[in-house]
Amino acid sequence: MKKGYPRFFLLPGLILLIAIIIFPLLFTIRVTFSSWNVSQTGLNFIGGANWAEMVRDTRYWGSLLRLFYLSFLTVAIQYALGFAIALFAWKGIAARRFFRVLWLIPMMTTPSLMAIIWRSIFTEDIGALNGLLSRVGLDPVNWLTESGPANVAITIAEVWQWTPFMFLILLAGLLSLPKEPFMAAAIDGASAWKTFARVTFPMMAPISIGAIMIRLIDASKIFDSVFTMTRGGPGNATETPAAYIFQRSLQDFQIAYGSTLALTYLILAIVTLTIIGKVFARLSKPRGI
Amino acid sequence: MYKVLKATFITIWSLFVLFPIMWAVTTSFKPESAVVNGATFIPFLEFQPSLIGWKAILPGPDSITNLFTPTLNSLIVTAGATAISLIFGSLAAYGLSRFTYGWKNYSNADIIFFFVSQRIMPPVVLAIPFFLLLKQLKLLDTHLGLILVLTSGLMPIVVWLMVDFFNALPREIDEMAMLEGCNPIQAFFRTILPLSKPGLTVAGMFCVIFGWNDIFFALTLTATKVLTLPVAVIALNGTVTPYWILAASTVFSIIPLVGLAFVIERFLSRGSLGGAVR
Amino acid sequence: MSLILKNVSVTSEKDGVILDDISFEFKPGRIYILIGRTTSGKTSLMRAIAGLLPIDSGQITMNGEDFDEKPIWERDVAVVYQQFINYPNKTVLENVEFPLFRKGMSKTEAREAALVSISKVGLSDYLDRKPAQLSGGQQQRVALARSLSRKSHIMLLDEPLMNLDYKLREQLRVEFKEIFNSQKDAVTIYATTEPPEALILGAEILVMHEGRIIQYGSPTEVYEKPQSTTVARVITDPPMSILPVSISNGEIRFGDGYAQPIPAKMKNFKEGRYQVGIRANDIEIAKSGGEKGTISLVEVSGSETLVYVDTPSGEIVLQMEGIHDVKVGESISIELPGNRLFLFETTGALCVSPDSAGE
Repeated sequence: MKKGYPRFFLLPGLILLIAIIIFPLLFTIRVTFSSWNVSQTGLNFIGGANWAEMVRDTRYWGSLLRLFYLSFLTVAIQYALGFAIALFAWKGIAARRFFRVLWLIPMMTTPSLMAIIWRSIFTEDIGALNGLLSRVGLDPVNWLTESGPANVAITIAEVWQWTPFMFLILLAGLLSLPKEPFMAAAIDGASAWKTFARVTFPMMAPISIGAIMIRLIDASKIFDSVFTMTRGGPGNATETPAAYIFQRSLQDFQIAYGSTLALTYLILAIVTLTIIGKVFARLSKPRGI
Repeated sequence: MYKVLKATFITIWSLFVLFPIMWAVTTSFKPESAVVNGATFIPFLEFQPSLIGWKAILPGPDSITNLFTPTLNSLIVTAGATAISLIFGSLAAYGLSRFTYGWKNYSNADIIFFFVSQRIMPPVVLAIPFFLLLKQLKLLDTHLGLILVLTSGLMPIVVWLMVDFFNALPREIDEMAMLEGCNPIQAFFRTILPLSKPGLTVAGMFCVIFGWNDIFFALTLTATKVLTLPVAVIALNGTVTPYWILAASTVFSIIPLVGLAFVIERFLSRGSLGGAVR
Repeated sequence: MSLILKNVSVTSEKDGVILDDISFEFKPGRIYILIGRTTSGKTSLMRAIAGLLPIDSGQITMNGEDFDEKPIWERDVAVVYQQFINYPNKTVLENVEFPLFRKGMSKTEAREAALVSISKVGLSDYLDRKPAQLSGGQQQRVALARSLSRKSHIMLLDEPLMNLDYKLREQLRVEFKEIFNSQKDAVTIYATTEPPEALILGAEILVMHEGRIIQYGSPTEVYEKPQSTTVARVITDPPMSILPVSISNGEIRFGDGYAQPIPAKMKNFKEGRYQVGIRANDIEIAKSGGEKGTISLVEVSGSETLVYVDTPSGEIVLQMEGIHDVKVGESISIELPGNRLFLFETTGALCVSPDSAGE
């Protein structure tokens, strides 16, 4: 089109974003080759020492692996639950308005603050959950002081927080589906399960993939619940990369080393998510969707 | 059979959703004895409600913390970041929808991907350099500093949502405006923007939610003056604060956004969300 | 005051040649009809004139001014689209006033001019309605009013009646003709795919095919003397049947040996292969003899029946008045009256037209 008009629209936002993102990123890259920490600030050059140390950092790699499992697990549960609720809500429920508001609420709460509440629920001696368990005659569980239960606790908090998000997107998707295939299935006498497996699910594929990708991207950054509920504990049992890096770089003030971890974290996240995205894209194509 | 399944499922899920909230609310009204001696659940039956939690956070003689200033800070910062993201993001999204940009080998799709992929950036990666940078610029612990940094995470969302939205508005409308004497900027402001309210509302809603709830940047980039609400409450959590006070603070902090939930629900029932989120 | 196109060409990577070396002069005060199939380039030509489609080579000038210097919003071109485009959030009155404010008119002037146009299209009772509250025909009239009120020097209408129902189309066609005949200093270009529309409305018809103008002239000229088989197919509805034949021994021979005496107009042509064309309503059912064929399709449309017949020479379409009970698969004998035949070269060029005094 004419001269400067297209630029007027795109450039301000693009430049702002580049300024906010690229320069800090470049700085981070540079800093990883220095030894900036609490006792020595400033950009010196020490070669790849930080990188070498990172490779030996088992706590870091442990946190990455943990994040991998955690994000997949939570997103899978959120997807299954969210889809189920969306399916039920799709055909209409009584008191629709009430439920819609209710189910929207977790998403609107502040994750880190709800994590405080979850802490009060999961606390061993005076927490709500153990209280309930003992009232029904079951043994209390060491939610926050044992590694397994602690991860379960985090998972529960994440599922509570984000399933409504999945639910919203999936419901919007269901509502936008054309009616004809369903009428055809009904005429053919398909059972509810068959209709779901052969009609609903395939037609929802693009939306499902979109929703899962969005949630995976957010799940790859899990920090809030871990930081407030368990501080990564017990020990490092629930520590995610974000929590670990936060501690190393902004609390222990090892800027250079922390930046190295952060940069690797970013690269791994981009690579993994891109691969997953491409896999999904390929999965949805051959079926002619 | 199906109906039973459905009813059970919905009931269980609703109870699950309600539980933490009810727990938080009841706990905020518990006296010390109702917490320290083991979990209690039902007010009046298992304990007598007390206002010590609330008194501790609201202004008054028993107050141990001020939550109003942080609330104000959160409002300013969220509003600022949302406004900037909406403005710059929508303009960029409109450009990407209507014009073809081609620098070297980068197409429109690539540029959109660049914007949207910023969501992948873990806050921790940016927090470190920003901490140092803002320190240099003396923007640490300022509203402006935090607003700018939050924008980096919010603009991608706006671009992502609004590009799809603008693509759905017929090009012929802006074409018609141009044929009738508007240059592209006038065409945008006079004809497309008035039609964009649903999209902007949804985008704005996401901005507000993510902006208000951010703790990462708020934690690292603010200290005392621009403390935001979530950070203030987390600070309470860090010191050994009793649960009834923590519960009261949490409930207090959550109220604004939960209120927003009612507004959004009304919006949803008008069907506007379906179109904007594809 | 003319709109002149010189050697205008547009190519795209995806679709190939869109406009192929178009040169034409559009004079003000007349209605030009662009007729052609859907991909023939009619819309592209209009978009190029409006500035919505950048041209790769050539020149467009209006009143001597080169359009290359002028962006869309300075070109004074009015467009009525196929899809009833109006501003959804403005009322009918606001819609029509909008371009007038853009031109710099004051509030009162704009309102007056808008009201005049709105009454011309018969919507004076609907001033406060929004487009979504109007029917398709009314919406298109608002679009029309908006374009008229601007008094632009170039008016482009791209198949504006296509999305309306049959009766409305007939009605609006008549109204259009009256309205546009009164636009004395504007160039009006109207695109359509329907021959009847072209013939009713046009002062001059441009036949387009594959990005080129393949014939132009008055409706009578184009209808009676289509320069090529392509034009003949585009301008007739139902399409003219065209069959390969050979001329020898004073006869026209068709595919299976069926032969007719050669009509007087064609006597002077050399022996050899040609193509023969005949309009659907000129074909008759033979009472005796005639070309034989089998019916492959029967379409009842309005008050006519279209019968598609497979003959050894090719497919023939004939049009019969009234509704007839003919069935697919039946045999049928048809007569191709010699004095109604067109003769074309094998290349497609016109040799003889039945309506004019020979070539």
